[in-house]
Amino acid sequence: MAKVSDIVLWDKPGEKVLLLGNQAIARGALEANIAVYAAYPGTPSSELTDTMAAVAEKAGVYMEYSTNEKVAFETALAAAWSGLRAMTAMKHVGLNVAADTFMSAVGMGVEGGFVIMVADDPSMWSSQNEQDTRVYAKFANVPVLEPADPHEAKEMTKYAFELSEKFKHFVILRTTTRTSHARGDVVLGELPEEIKQGKRKFGKFKKDPSRFVDVPANARNFHPIILEKIEKIREELNNCPFNWIEGKEDAKVGIIAPGLSYAYVKEALAWLGVDNVKILKLGTPFPVPYGLLEKFLEGLEKVLIVEELEPVVEEQVKTWAYDKGITIPIHGKDLVPRIYEMTTRRAVTAIAKFLGVETPINFEELDAKYEKVKPLLPPRPPSLCPACPHRNSFYAIKKATKGKAIYPSDIGCYTLGLLPPLQAVDTTVAMGASIGIAHGLSIAQNGSLSEEQKSPEKQVIVATIGDSTFYHTGLPALANAIYNRSNVLVVVLDNLVTAMTGDQPNPSTGETPHGMGKRIPIEEVAKAMGADFVAVVDPYDIKTTYETMKKALEVEGVSVVVARQPCALYRIGQMRRKGEKWPIYQVNEEKCTGCRACINTYGCPAIYWDEEKKKARVEPTMCWGCGGCAQVCPFGAFEPIEGGSQ
Amino acid sequence: MKEYNIVITGVGGQGVLTAANILGWAALRAGYKVRLGEVHGMSQRFGSVISYVRFGEDVYGSMVPEGKADVMLSFEPVEALRYINYLKEGGMVVVNTKPIVPVQVSMGMAKYPSLDEIRRIFEEDFKAKWIGFNAEELAEKAGHVVTTNTVLIGALTQVPEFPLDAEHVREVIKISVPPKAVDVNMKAFDLGIQAAKDILGL
Repeated sequence: MAKVSDIVLWDKPGEKVLLLGNQAIARGALEANIAVYAAYPGTPSSELTDTMAAVAEKAGVYMEYSTNEKVAFETALAAAWSGLRAMTAMKHVGLNVAADTFMSAVGMGVEGGFVIMVADDPSMWSSQNEQDTRVYAKFANVPVLEPADPHEAKEMTKYAFELSEKFKHFVILRTTTRTSHARGDVVLGELPEEIKQGKRKFGKFKKDPSRFVDVPANARNFHPIILEKIEKIREELNNCPFNWIEGKEDAKVGIIAPGLSYAYVKEALAWLGVDNVKILKLGTPFPVPYGLLEKFLEGLEKVLIVEELEPVVEEQVKTWAYDKGITIPIHGKDLVPRIYEMTTRRAVTAIAKFLGVETPINFEELDAKYEKVKPLLPPRPPSLCPACPHRNSFYAIKKATKGKAIYPSDIGCYTLGLLPPLQAVDTTVAMGASIGIAHGLSIAQNGSLSEEQKSPEKQVIVATIGDSTFYHTGLPALANAIYNRSNVLVVVLDNLVTAMTGDQPNPSTGETPHGMGKRIPIEEVAKAMGADFVAVVDPYDIKTTYETMKKALEVEGVSVVVARQPCALYRIGQMRRKGEKWPIYQVNEEKCTGCRACINTYGCPAIYWDEEKKKARVEPTMCWGCGGCAQVCPFGAFEPIEGGSQ
Repeated sequence: MKEYNIVITGVGGQGVLTAANILGWAALRAGYKVRLGEVHGMSQRFGSVISYVRFGEDVYGSMVPEGKADVMLSFEPVEALRYINYLKEGGMVVVNTKPIVPVQVSMGMAKYPSLDEIRRIFEEDFKAKWIGFNAEELAEKAGHVVTTNTVLIGALTQVPEFPLDAEHVREVIKISVPPKAVDVNMKAFDLGIQAAKDILGL
């Protein structure tokens, strides 16, 4: 098929295409004549940013991969202040990083449309928590739109810009993994002339300190402005094209279905074969439009709210109903779980219970049958790729510390160093937290440099953090550790890209999507900050990496070792495209003693145990030729053969 | 047609997402409403993965519920078994029988079940129909191991009452792969079709 970056720019209104929710949002932003886009990648939002990166130059949109969500937010916000349509995107926890600016600037409003796309991850497929962004919307008094499918995501994006401009207010476009990473049929709309011609748009910032300087005297005016705006928006949303009532008009029972839950409710009702219900489809879970709600509740004897995660809609509906003296039963979190993602099964189970009917299949019976299968399933958690340089770094760190250090780590692929056999991750919390936690542990475990406080046996602490995470929020933590005379080793796992989210560039890469930016070598930053020991190593050379770690551990103070080697997945992808070959290793059965050192201490997914021969073997289709196994094997059993590229 | 549900399972990196995308486009071109469900990010790194392909008049969400898949296309035997509860009673599984042994099994922390046992559970306990063969071998025969997913998609098109025409699917593969890889993929597709026909006695 045509490349997505081409499809997203197709000037073919009415054409039906298959797009990922995130790609559909990118198309929506283009149809809305967006001028500035800035974001830091984060699953499940990343493909939106990558799609914008791929089309920005042709569409005349300024696009950047920012160093973190707060900076991205400010970049897009200032563009919106200058009268341009601007967007930023992030995963749910990214809004925590941007929250300081978000919460303070909301009262200042915007001039051009400003859309904050936030992708939540219920069930945490690739996340550290499952916070519900709709709660943030309520907290900040900002409207939140939530689409039910990719096409609606595109249409909502356009509407979000219009709504933001009309009320000069922020608008959140909230998705979840199942919309961002769902592909569906999307009908293309018109592209504005400026986008088609690729003409860059520029704005103008009009000074107004009473609005843009939030000293207390000014800030005191913000809160009433925000509250007035949100109530006007609530009114407006009675006529929002993404909110409607459907189903049997004279039905006695009703279901409220916000966002993506609408899709599950529709499917559940079809599966149950039930049609005597009224549905309130809500594209705007906050603020709930009360006019529409009132109309919906007319004649109903009971209501169920099928809502994912927090009872955001439920609380609004119940509060409003109480004030109105409406006393019909309103069900919600008593029937619908508050944890993990919504599924058709959950919707069908809740609705069946609510209506007092049987579920279409007997789920308990199915579960009981599946329970018997479970013990037979070997676990297959995600793992560091074959040839991943992080594996070698962890291996060297573990060896240099004899496994006795505490290993605070961070958010990225290398979090997978948690798993056996490496087990070199003791804590991960949030982006950039490794260094702060390491410093705190150093103080708590008497590892800091104040002599009189030192215990006889120093606890060694080794933090690991990726290059992108280092620039995201690692910088202030490193400054703090150096300034406060911490005693830790910080290993920056520098694979030159933001690998976990799809190999996006960052300051360590140097490149931007549109040519060269300015590369910032991490070791120069560490030196400039005053680290007590700084070295750069190639983790593919395990011996040197190990020796450097040993040396760094002997230094009192903050040591920084930059372990630099390109992401293997990225490198292999490039080699495949160019048709290049790499060596493939295999086990010389005569040399292999079956000691399992490779499997039990190194753990490359390409190496497996041959139960019959009692020897290690390499799966040739998975070997990416780093040669780490050959360095780890005490008997030299791994040997390269002439390989073909996969 | 109300709905047709496919689950595709395997190990991250095997081409599960690519297969889902090809089937999705083929369904779109056949005029169906389409939903594909995918998981990106951390799970992609050599972990267990599942993708969903749904099309018809009555599809809304992107995930196939448990007990509702008409057919399962699996790139790896244990990854077929892991998601067996998605298959409806009497559903069909098209599976590559070449195992990928997880690190945990090599470390002796878990056991890999035998192929016979996996097949027995599908056929006896879950009343499913089994189309199992070594698709990797056929891919190598076609010219390259990366065409394993094309072999499997070819076999899938032979499932009784499969709503997409094999030639339509072939067309999408042809325009999806790089020009120099068209021939091997077409060969792989045909080998997959033949393998399924042989097993089904067509």
